[in-house]
Amino acid sequence: MALVLLLSALVLVAALVLAVSLGSVRVAPAEIVAAALKGINGDELLPLDRVVWQLRFPRVLLAALVGAGLALAGTMFQGVFRNPLAEPYLIGTASGAGFGAVLVMTLGATVPLLARVGAPLVAFAFALLTVATVLFLARSGGAVPTVRLILAGVVVGSLFTAATSFLLVAAREQAAGMLAWLLGGFGFSTWSQVRVIALFTLPALALAGAFARALDLLQLGEEGAALLGLSVERVKLLLLGVATLVTAAAVSVAGIIGFVGLIVPHAARIALGRPHGRLLPTAAIWGATFMILADLLARQVIAPVEVPVGIVTALVGGPFFLWLLKKRSAAG
Amino acid sequence: MFRRLTLLAVTLLLLGSGAFATTYPVTVVDDLGRAVTLTAAPQRVISMLPSHTESVCAIEACDLLIGVDRHSNYPAQVTGLPQLGDAFAPDLEAVLALDPDFVLVDEYSGLQAPLTDLGITVFAGSPQTIDETMAFLLLLGAMLDRETEAAVLVGQLEGEIKGVAAVLTGVTGPRVFVELDPTPYSIGPSSYIGELVAAAGGVNIVTEAMGEFPQVDPEYVVLQDPQVIVLTDAPFGVTADSVAARPGWSAIEAVVDGRVYELDTAAADIISRSGPRMGEAVRLLAALFHPGLF
Repeated sequence: MALVLLLSALVLVAALVLAVSLGSVRVAPAEIVAAALKGINGDELLPLDRVVWQLRFPRVLLAALVGAGLALAGTMFQGVFRNPLAEPYLIGTASGAGFGAVLVMTLGATVPLLARVGAPLVAFAFALLTVATVLFLARSGGAVPTVRLILAGVVVGSLFTAATSFLLVAAREQAAGMLAWLLGGFGFSTWSQVRVIALFTLPALALAGAFARALDLLQLGEEGAALLGLSVERVKLLLLGVATLVTAAAVSVAGIIGFVGLIVPHAARIALGRPHGRLLPTAAIWGATFMILADLLARQVIAPVEVPVGIVTALVGGPFFLWLLKKRSAAG
Repeated sequence: MFRRLTLLAVTLLLLGSGAFATTYPVTVVDDLGRAVTLTAAPQRVISMLPSHTESVCAIEACDLLIGVDRHSNYPAQVTGLPQLGDAFAPDLEAVLALDPDFVLVDEYSGLQAPLTDLGITVFAGSPQTIDETMAFLLLLGAMLDRETEAAVLVGQLEGEIKGVAAVLTGVTGPRVFVELDPTPYSIGPSSYIGELVAAAGGVNIVTEAMGEFPQVDPEYVVLQDPQVIVLTDAPFGVTADSVAARPGWSAIEAVVDGRVYELDTAAADIISRSGPRMGEAVRLLAALFHPGLF
């Protein structure tokens, strides 16, 4: 297992270097290092250094962090819900964030406050608002039954998706831009965004790791886990809360990128088995690698024209998911 | 596109052979290949595209208009006309209630289908280049019995564009980036706005191979280092400051020199509508690209 983790980490670094070196202009590894050093020291940057340090590095690192975050959240969701179809957008996070972002794009010109706050922050706020609503609706007694949670998530998610569609149709001139945002992209990634997402994702990874055994216990069923001493409701809410925060942050900066949170945990599980101690870090690393490569493909396949990243992940994730289903039905 | 132009040219030849007034019935072929027959000069015209509205009014047929789409705002006299939704969300009942004898729509919305089913004569098409705009104005003149006016207008527009070209002989143009949308979306050289940029003496950083309305990798813009940036999305809140704040964009020549131009709604309309304000559009852009000369 340690070998898998090490290999995965090496592949991640290789993907990082590849992604930073490729683009409108090819940059050699030596130049990458030079640009990075200049950037870190705050030296004067030549145009190519600028492209490497101010555009590509943040973009690739943000893709890595978002990919890791979504894969991590996906693993946590699948663990808590004990359902292979669970993924980070299940309880409405993406729908809420999408609505928030499109709202800012629609009203930004007429409501300067919205424009100043910016789409990512409003998207984040709406994502959290949506999940809070879902949790509130799903509450029954002192607990949050998973079935009610999923149903509430679908309902509230649909409402926000409908509202988003309405805005898309109403503001037709900007529809192309809104759609591009919704389909996901890392176009204008900044270092400050990298810092913010790192602040969400890395602690979440650490916390999830600390609760790896709890997640394993949950697989025995909520009653079984409770009998073994786990405070099921508290752990569920904590894990879902952390996963939601990471997902909301990811969607706020990168749009709604699907399949990563669904597919990567499955792939990791096939390779490493179910114990979450090894599953969580591996899923995170594989998610990061996958996203870096998906973004690379998105900006290179018809360069310099960009394809929204969500389209690439869907095109890759869809067939992979079909293969997964066939494998499971063949085995079971 | 060539086929379209040839069809229009042939139609015009057949129609305008010496005649200064249109002889009806007239049959033309629109952009969707449909044969459109007008049995008499239209008296009750509806336009469902702002550029068509402007074209109709520019050839002195404004009094024929009985209704327009909600985006038509020029010239001022059409603002009092009934508004009938837009091409993608039309108010069909209102259109029918006005009892038009001719409706002008675009070729993308599919609006011609329900209107034709309702028995209304529809022309579905819109010019996508400078040449097509000129040809379309002449065709419109033939359809609405305003051939002379259309010919005069086209001559005027050709003169305006040639005039700009004359001032620009021997002048090398700046590298230009036209932004449609902050994603960023831009325009290619074969689009209408792309042709306007070329006519105004600008060098579009977007190449032919990238298509007509590409979503561009921001890195590409940084590397191409445009000398002028035109923000047609300024009416949606994009400012020169927000452009300068984008990662890596602060060093772009246009940003450094303060040549990031925010177009207001009126200017954005002028350059995006393929119609009679073409000359104005070219002069507007030329003034941005070559401030000393215009």
